[in-house]
Amino acid sequence: MVSWQTRTANLLGRLTIRQSLRRDFSVAEMRERIRTMERFFPDLPADIRIDREPGLSHCDAEWLIPTTGPTERVILHFPGGAFLTRFVRAERLLMARLCRSANARGRLVFYRLAPEHPYPAGLDDCMEAYRQLLDLNVAPDNIIVSGMSAGGCLALALLLAVRDEGLPLPAGAVLMSPAADLTEHSEAGSRLANAPHDAVLSLERGDDIRRLYLGDQLDRVNHPYVSPVLGDYAGLPPLFFQVGSKEILLDDSQRCAERARSAGVRAEVEVWDRVPHGWQTLSFAPESGRAIDRLADFIREVCP
Amino acid sequence: MSAGGQHSDPGATYMRALRRDHAGLSRVLREIDTQAERLTKAPDDAGPLLAEAMRYLLRYHHAFHHPREDRLFARIRERDPELDATLADLSDEHEVGEAEAERLACDLEAATVKQLRGRSGRRLAERVNEYVRHTRAHMRHEEAVFYARAESALDAEDWRYIIGSDHGPQDPLADLAEMGNSYPRLASSLGLPVTHLGLLDPVEPLSEEMEEQMLALTDLYGGLLHDALDLGRGNLDRLLAVRGPGALVSAVGEITRANLEFAGRCLLSPPRWAINTGAALIVASLKPYLEPRQPQD
Repeated sequence: MVSWQTRTANLLGRLTIRQSLRRDFSVAEMRERIRTMERFFPDLPADIRIDREPGLSHCDAEWLIPTTGPTERVILHFPGGAFLTRFVRAERLLMARLCRSANARGRLVFYRLAPEHPYPAGLDDCMEAYRQLLDLNVAPDNIIVSGMSAGGCLALALLLAVRDEGLPLPAGAVLMSPAADLTEHSEAGSRLANAPHDAVLSLERGDDIRRLYLGDQLDRVNHPYVSPVLGDYAGLPPLFFQVGSKEILLDDSQRCAERARSAGVRAEVEVWDRVPHGWQTLSFAPESGRAIDRLADFIREVCP
Repeated sequence: MSAGGQHSDPGATYMRALRRDHAGLSRVLREIDTQAERLTKAPDDAGPLLAEAMRYLLRYHHAFHHPREDRLFARIRERDPELDATLADLSDEHEVGEAEAERLACDLEAATVKQLRGRSGRRLAERVNEYVRHTRAHMRHEEAVFYARAESALDAEDWRYIIGSDHGPQDPLADLAEMGNSYPRLASSLGLPVTHLGLLDPVEPLSEEMEEQMLALTDLYGGLLHDALDLGRGNLDRLLAVRGPGALVSAVGEITRANLEFAGRCLLSPPRWAINTGAALIVASLKPYLEPRQPQD
């Protein structure tokens, strides 16, 4: 049974974010609207401390440290926001809750955004953050890579890039509704079938996002670092996907997981009934708490 | 577990094995969480699976993993009195958890499918959820307080004693095929690549077509609502920019034109089906007031 809180979130998402995405607006306007919406997200819980040192070369990053006790696990998280914007408070709160549940430290990377910094600037920042963890002597098998939506795309791209560069791979990855296919052919399957039902995302902005993210490199849209659904997953660590049954991005998770499994990689997909895109951030909804507990179970499992 | 003694750092190896137990336990807890949701809707499948999962937890985690930790707790309490009260609490939690797992296994095995579909099933599912919550919190507490300090608190002699007194088995979950011999339902469910959460619920009370129309109406009128907000903001900006009577007349003219344009759009932009649906709803709600009243005696 979908909770009343999630049903309300579906309606509010449909009346706010989805409407904003469907309308003709500038990136600056979208960022301003998101800043307004963010006021409704609560502050960080008292048992999580934020530390901004050490930073990264081109973008901000934060450590989220539970004050309950020392831990070796690190969750390296990339927020969502269509590569153009981000919900800073919402993602920080999500990470705080996940860190508490998984008994881990969080590393939240505010990678550079398009259109000011088109591909591969964001991915470069993610790579720098991963290398920095290794330089800080965090054992790779204590690292979990995590990403939400566009951040999920970057998380998958990071795994492929880490493997391609011969760096030690992390223990696993948690992907929350990753947008893993930026190609024009993606507009089929769940992107079409779920278009009327998705409470948050809308198909209308696909071309804009692709154009703004890639800038003058539109020909790279088929590269696995841009559309990880086309990647070769051989050798990657276990992957864990969570996605809503009515999301337009449903197929992205399922196709990535199938591709991973066919390459011999353990990949699990959880399909959640009628939850909105990014429901894990909605701390007032019971489905959010349950999803975070299940993410933490997976993290504890692959990163003991 | 006793193989840990052959490693150059027996304490670290022993602690790694305990952490691996937590990894296995987390995997099973996630499965229990999935099945608890299904218990009242698919009891003939979820009930035996949950009972099997509880039996597995009793036969491995409660029978071997927790006694291992208890032996460690006892040794650490001797070495680090600061942790005495916390470790006593953790040991108590082991006992409480084991007793509840035993009760749950028995109740799940004894319940009929009919009982599981009704109120008893709902109560059992709540108890299973509570057991999962308790076990997760217990693991978090152990990792934060005890696992982090065990290695530094104990010396080589302590580890020799602990490892020497441990002859228990390894977690059977390490080999899913082997696990299948003793816990076939649990093993096959753990191997599934896709999990559906909540999809056992009946679909919305509305038909698929009606649901799509409702969502499209929400999109349509949500869009108009946004337009109205933009219009209001624009009207206000125009009025605030007024400097003198001439500008006021001009602003009022612009505002009137913009408002009339918006009103026209409200009337013309909704497609025929939306107008029909909206009109039908309005007529239905006004009908009681429009019908002629019966003369009173």
